[in-house]
Amino acid sequence: MLTEQTAYSNRWRTVSPAAKGCFSLSALVAAFVASSPRMNLLTALLLIAITTMGAGVPLWRYLRIALPTLLFLLVSTATLAFSVSFSMSSLTLSLQPATAELPRVALVCSRSLASLTALLFLGLTTPLNDIIGLLRRCRVPALLLDLMTLCYRTLFVLSETVHQTMTAQSARLGYGGLRRSFRSLGCLIAGLTIQIWQRSEALHRAALARNNDGALRFLEAEFPDAPRAITCAILAGISLIFLAATIP
Amino acid sequence: MSEPILSLSEVFYRYPDGTSALNGCTLSFQRAKRFAILGANGAGKSTMLLHLNGILRPSAGQVCWDGKPLEYHRNGLHQLRSRVGMVFQNPDSQLFSASVREDVSFGPLNQGVSLAEARERVATALRITRTEELADRPVHNLSFGQKKRVCIAGVLAMQPEVIVLDEPMAGLDTAMQHELTAVLDQLHERGITIVIATHDLDFAYGWADEIAVMQRGKLLAHGRPEELFQRTEVQQELEGTPLVAEIVSRLATLGLTLRSDGRLPRSRSELLQALVKHPDCGI
Repeated sequence: MLTEQTAYSNRWRTVSPAAKGCFSLSALVAAFVASSPRMNLLTALLLIAITTMGAGVPLWRYLRIALPTLLFLLVSTATLAFSVSFSMSSLTLSLQPATAELPRVALVCSRSLASLTALLFLGLTTPLNDIIGLLRRCRVPALLLDLMTLCYRTLFVLSETVHQTMTAQSARLGYGGLRRSFRSLGCLIAGLTIQIWQRSEALHRAALARNNDGALRFLEAEFPDAPRAITCAILAGISLIFLAATIP
Repeated sequence: MSEPILSLSEVFYRYPDGTSALNGCTLSFQRAKRFAILGANGAGKSTMLLHLNGILRPSAGQVCWDGKPLEYHRNGLHQLRSRVGMVFQNPDSQLFSASVREDVSFGPLNQGVSLAEARERVATALRITRTEELADRPVHNLSFGQKKRVCIAGVLAMQPEVIVLDEPMAGLDTAMQHELTAVLDQLHERGITIVIATHDLDFAYGWADEIAVMQRGKLLAHGRPEELFQRTEVQQELEGTPLVAEIVSRLATLGLTLRSDGRLPRSRSELLQALVKHPDCGI
């Protein structure tokens, strides 16, 4: 939800999604081209700065959104950096830093971090609708995009339904005690399954009523200053890739 | 009387689970009029409405457009659904896209109009329904009333000749109801035929040109509001009469005949005005 709100309320909401997509993609390429952890960290910092200062996403909010992924990254780094060995003779488990591998671990992890910030840049400045529109122009198969559109829309309808059902259950003491909680949760899932089915039926009917014959067609938003924004993004992207390739 | 724009004759419909929802329903809609469909829950109102847009096909009987029976092949349905717009009761089951502008464009693009034309139609529909400022908002951040208006915009953008609304006032607060009524008035002024299923007797009495009352899948009565509510079978079926009708008829028995523009007052404001203007009232 927080990502969603940010995507709609940031300063670069009305900048062409193609420009933001180009820049994000260049940053991803830069992360793969860079040969040192230092450069990757620099890219990550730069992208955080652009997202927070340029697009005006508050830093605390940025960190809150990035936190779960960062934790995940931390755990993966730890598992790469340390190796567990088991000695048969003394029957002991020991944890040792994988010294020889450390430079590679640092590179892989810093690369992940840079890629993460590149994706966050796109995700936090561009609403999903615009991203879908962009993918449509990139000729991603329509079926996939229709699924994305419906999933995205249905997600909110369902989360509201779940919320309402849970409130109604709690109001009748549905979650007092473990046994009852399990029972209520079961009822919730069963009820939801039927509701999903009925909703899909209703959605189908509504689509037919508006003359739909299969493919979902929508008007895409227009971005007046797109050519200029795309040029800027491409220039910035190329410079970033160039820096990543040359700085050791 | 001219040819009705839409008509049902002896329509029967049975749902797959065996419930028979329509039992020989005969009803006709005149062009550019405002219709209210009244009836208890389960009287078959919604089922009847779904026949007007070709979503349901009668098990027996006939639905006609301009006097010609509907054709249920692809082209026939495409034409019918371009002419008859349908606004469902629950806006969440009608809105597909997460953005308002996109969703409103869904219908016109399905009709196959050009992008430029679709853009123009969307803009007009948003203007009429007063949802322009919502155009770039995500649908899930709208209030119930706003969603309802976006649904109407989505249908309006298809430029239909008839708009069918299933209980549009349900769940709206008084202010929203007034706004929606204003939107409906605008559609009426544009010559669009409007059919509304509702439980609100007062609204139906004040708004509609004609009212049809359904009972167990059949038409019980059909006529102009003033005369319809004088029939006992209608009063019995709906278990009541509109407040304004009741007051006017009680006053009439006391010898006070009220008129608003030469006819019986039908809404609160008309009633108050007639009272103020009446020479015997002394208000």
